[in-house]
Amino acid sequence: MKRMNAARVRAAIIRYLLLAVGTVVFTLPMLYMISTSLRPNGALYEYPPRFFPKPEALTLENYDYILRQSKFYLNFLNSVLVSVSTILLAAAVASAMAFVLGKFKSRGTKTLFAFIIITMIIPGTTMIVPQFELATKLGLVNRLWGLIPFYVAWVIPFSTFMIKGFMENIPGEIMEACWIDGADVWTVYTRVALPLASPALASVSIFNFLTAWEEYPWANTVINDNNRRTLPIAIAGFFGQHQFTQWGYVFAMSVLTLIPVVLIFILCQKFFVQGLTAGSVKG
Amino acid sequence: MIQKSRVNRAQLFALLLPGLLVFGMFTVYPIVRLFWMSLCDMRFSSMLTQPFAGLLNYRQVFGDGTFWMVFVNSVVYTLITVPGQMVIGLFIAVLLNGIKRFSVTFRVINYLPVVTSWVIASLVFRYIFNTEGLLNHFLWKVLGVTSGNIRWLDTRWSGLSVAMILGIWKGIGWNMVIFLAALQQVPKDLYEAADIDGCGAWKKFVCVTLPGIRGTILFALIELTIGGFNVFTSIKMITGGKPAHQTDTLLTWMYYKAFSTGQFGYAAALSFVMALSLGLLAIVQFRMMRSREA
Repeated sequence: MKRMNAARVRAAIIRYLLLAVGTVVFTLPMLYMISTSLRPNGALYEYPPRFFPKPEALTLENYDYILRQSKFYLNFLNSVLVSVSTILLAAAVASAMAFVLGKFKSRGTKTLFAFIIITMIIPGTTMIVPQFELATKLGLVNRLWGLIPFYVAWVIPFSTFMIKGFMENIPGEIMEACWIDGADVWTVYTRVALPLASPALASVSIFNFLTAWEEYPWANTVINDNNRRTLPIAIAGFFGQHQFTQWGYVFAMSVLTLIPVVLIFILCQKFFVQGLTAGSVKG
Repeated sequence: MIQKSRVNRAQLFALLLPGLLVFGMFTVYPIVRLFWMSLCDMRFSSMLTQPFAGLLNYRQVFGDGTFWMVFVNSVVYTLITVPGQMVIGLFIAVLLNGIKRFSVTFRVINYLPVVTSWVIASLVFRYIFNTEGLLNHFLWKVLGVTSGNIRWLDTRWSGLSVAMILGIWKGIGWNMVIFLAALQQVPKDLYEAADIDGCGAWKKFVCVTLPGIRGTILFALIELTIGGFNVFTSIKMITGGKPAHQTDTLLTWMYYKAFSTGQFGYAAALSFVMALSLGLLAIVQFRMMRSREA
């Protein structure tokens, strides 16, 4: 028995050691980004390069520069507007579809659901040419709100799939009771289904927020106007602007862009894991 | 059942309608349109005249040496990054599954690269792999394993390697979370039975764990294969396809053809071939896992 325990302790130590080392190696790139954003811009060409800045050289001048630019606030606001509109619209249309597809099964609804899921196989970027043509025809090019319908359409399959799983778990007896009481479909959807599916809505919305917040290829294709840029385009633009990239500015802006994401991620961890594992474990 | 008949079909349809409209217009229509565009001689300069061209675009795509080069790049990228993230992610999940304290802390930290946007992560990697950057300094002046600065971003395979390292780094966290969830679903009594039979840790992993998480492996394999062929932003930000498209992947090459040379028809044909192949590949992967199950 004693030998068993010793072996177990040794195994645990090895596990923690491997995890700790792995985690440190894993975080190096992010730490380097933060450390670069905290040193004077001119020092970026100092040789030799240092992982940690000299303590006496630590400075917030890059942040000061970014935060004094009105463009940054505009880009930030653009990203917030697009992301929030996307998650609200997606939650509304996807939950309505998930309710019907999950609770009123027929050959028709099953086929429709299968069709929606199959489109997930196609990488989004392959559709960029016809989508660009469509955006041109509809006058959505270079319009901030023109991004939103594309993002909503993009996240519909995953959102519907996730929320549908929750809708299916609503007991049939509850629904029956509602029909007997003379409730109509709309009432059952808004008063019964939506509240019960709210955890699924929360986790779907977090994912959709991330998708919209970081989307680059599409926004970069249709938005040219500086003032209508979202944050990823603004950062990428910063990078290509000068012959010598001002890495301090780029990474200060990157850190500012990541703060809301990391906050949301840490605060909503539970919903995150739920959302990720919903599709995978069932297989 | 009697109650069911009271359900108003018009209201059901009204609930489906907004989603179907958005999805139909911005996803389904572009897919159909993509196929049609691939059959037309479409150019950015003359979007109004689109003469039907049959398989001309497809012939151009398949007759193009650059297409085959970027095809190989995409295949190599996928073949290396998909198993790479799955193996490391699963390994971390197995480690995490056996510990009690700090499990959440490790999980959160290892998941951070996943929520970091591609643009930012790509720029960080570009900065690290710069010719005068930190990595070269470390390899040359600190470890002494190289005898000068390596121009990582300037050759085909080293440039792609940077993108692949980034791809693996960014994907591990996702694999870790879904594999950890799968590991927790494997019945405990199977491990106990294996213990009684005197199986070692490796034998248990191969005979109990792997079959137990087969569904999740399939799910990850399909998702990540699609993701691997979807690589775009990191290539654009890290190498920009340089030198001479040698580090381009299918999508960055398609994008270049569409928006830099204006050959929409070529780009559409390439996209359609990709979408179709990935669909078939997903079916094959699905079948393979199914048959092994039987």
